[in-house]
Amino acid sequence: MTRSMLLRAVRHRFVAVPLAIAVAVAAWNVYVAAHDDGIVRGEVVGPDGRPVAGATVTMMEQNFTTNSDRGKTLTRDDGSFEFTDNRSHNIQLRAEKPGVGRSDRVVVRLYFQAQNVTLHEPLRIKAGS
Amino acid sequence: MTTKRTARAWKHASLHLAMVAVSFCMLLPFYWVLKTSLTGENIFVYPPSVVPVHPHPFYYVDVWYYIPFPRYLLNSVVVSALSIAANVVFNALAAYALTRHFRGRGAIITVLLSCMMIPFQTTIVPAYLITAKLGLLNSYLGLALPTFSTIVCIFVYKASFEAVPRSLIDAARIDGLSELAIIRRIMLPLATSAVATNVVLSFIWSWNNFLWPLIIVRDPLMQTLPLGLSRFLSYHENTTGALYAFCIMVLAPGILLFLMAQKEFIRGLTSGATKG
Repeated sequence: MTRSMLLRAVRHRFVAVPLAIAVAVAAWNVYVAAHDDGIVRGEVVGPDGRPVAGATVTMMEQNFTTNSDRGKTLTRDDGSFEFTDNRSHNIQLRAEKPGVGRSDRVVVRLYFQAQNVTLHEPLRIKAGS
Repeated sequence: MTTKRTARAWKHASLHLAMVAVSFCMLLPFYWVLKTSLTGENIFVYPPSVVPVHPHPFYYVDVWYYIPFPRYLLNSVVVSALSIAANVVFNALAAYALTRHFRGRGAIITVLLSCMMIPFQTTIVPAYLITAKLGLLNSYLGLALPTFSTIVCIFVYKASFEAVPRSLIDAARIDGLSELAIIRRIMLPLATSAVATNVVLSFIWSWNNFLWPLIIVRDPLMQTLPLGLSRFLSYHENTTGALYAFCIMVLAPGILLFLMAQKEFIRGLTSGATKG
């Protein structure tokens, strides 16, 4: 088969479209493989907007009908926290600290399971909640 | 002259306007399904939003992970591929035979046409028993077997083969080609529209088949996408966004295949409809 024949065959829509889909799927899988360590990073702040150290952050995995706890961690001195074992694509996070309060549940939707993610908004603990 | 041209322009414009209106009515449900799959908006919300509000792809992600969607997709792809391959080959063989003259040809055509009037539901019990005797329950081959040849597709091929000049076949035979080689090297290349029609029709019928897989599949991992959709519905009722996303994911391959092959598909359906 000559080069021009090969090019013509590749340009045919019955070849080009499946080929383009295959390339897109392969690229997506490579991206997923490079970003699926299950790391969830974020920050917890208090009612005054300052970082809260020692707050307990709970990660829940959302299923079709239920939520189940998947882990807890404590915030560091700068209010940051990190989970390294998320296996889900749909999680909820909540922070609480005795004597300070508790944050709302924050739903985190991911594009694939165990996607590494850093929360753009901190978990905000509400006073007296 | 100008009046005639103006009248023709008006006629064209009104015809196109009517076609746009009909297309709008046909496409609106598809748009609504797509919009709901991206927003999860309940269908009973009033007033409904025509433009998607805060669209996101996460319902598609839910469908992919909450049920074994990749497995269902693989099952459907394998079954459809088997069905397409069998239809393209077996229907061509049958159609070529029907273009030849032999005793009983008319009777065979009559029987085939009569069989088109028998719905599959009435023959499903013997079909099940035969598949069970062959030991093909719960297998890809068993799933695809009833769609291996369809009478409509045989006649699509037949119409296309009849358009091939007799002299060409005679010349091929003189050159020493066997009947199978004539089909493969002369008839099929000249009947690409019929091949495309066979591919599209057999794919759509096999892809959307619900009743037959429901009856012969026992292993949940051998289910195809239509069965998966039904299973998905049984999990939870209030999954509007995910349900519509599932529908889009089931429909997309069929629509894509049709869009790719629509020119040949239409030509294949209409070939043989007119003479000359």
